Amino acid sequence: MTRPGADSTFSMTSESGELVRLRKWLRNELTGHGVPRQDQSNLLLAVGELCNNSIQHAYEGLGGQPIHVSVRSSDEALTIEVEDFGKPFESEQYEPPHFEAIPESGYGLFLVKTIADNLSVDIARERGTRWTIVKYRPGCGPAAGTQGGALRS
Amino acid sequence: MDIDVTQSTEVTVVSPKGDLDMGAADQVKRTLAGLIGQGQSRLVMDLGGVGYIDSSGMGVLVAAMKQARAAGGDVRLCALQEDVRAIFEMTRLIKAMSVHPTRQEALASWR
Repeated sequence: MTRPGADSTFSMTSESGELVRLRKWLRNELTGHGVPRQDQSNLLLAVGELCNNSIQHAYEGLGGQPIHVSVRSSDEALTIEVEDFGKPFESEQYEPPHFEAIPESGYGLFLVKTIADNLSVDIARERGTRWTIVKYRPGCGPAAGTQGGALRS
Repeated sequence: MDIDVTQSTEVTVVSPKGDLDMGAADQVKRTLAGLIGQGQSRLVMDLGGVGYIDSSGMGVLVAAMKQARAAGGDVRLCALQEDVRAIFEMTRLIKAMSVHPTRQEALASWR
């Protein structure tokens, strides 16, 4: 198992073809940190959605731009950061999906918020956006249901 | 992504193999839109070969379902792997779309 506290970083560029490589790296990291399988799958999705966001919105489809993903673990939680250097995320424009209309888009950030125990976004930077996902280890952290869905900026 | 298409006079079965992510979404979208555009709006989407789907992939399936329903058909899903099913549950699409355990049951739902 990977040593708690160790911080690993993956760098990719802003093309959808890079996502397969990202998922392979992240799956290995999460396995190494002893993350349960279902949490692994959910976190692969959440991180993938944030990278999709960087590719589509921060870089507006322009390839070759940097995206960094880092994983840090402790005895209590796993912390994953996704960072880009493009157009900052506009949190005031986020709206959860209107499920009754069965929308074709807008599920990405909703999924990230559902999966994360805590989600924060840092846009007070020179450029870009840094997302931080916290996922508590089983039996750790605040009571379930009090953290999911929080979006702090 | 490999996409098998099995056509018949009644129902067309589409079986993608691989990850249905942002990188594959356009290919699946073109395939489904092409079939519906040719009048094949009664579709079964066999997701047994899809181990990962993201919001881009789900968006493609929802769009195709709406197109197909507008044309008098539907996109009926089957054989969802556990992780994929979990995402359909999170997004509540499990209730909005017609989802069947097996291909046989999805095909039978058209009869």
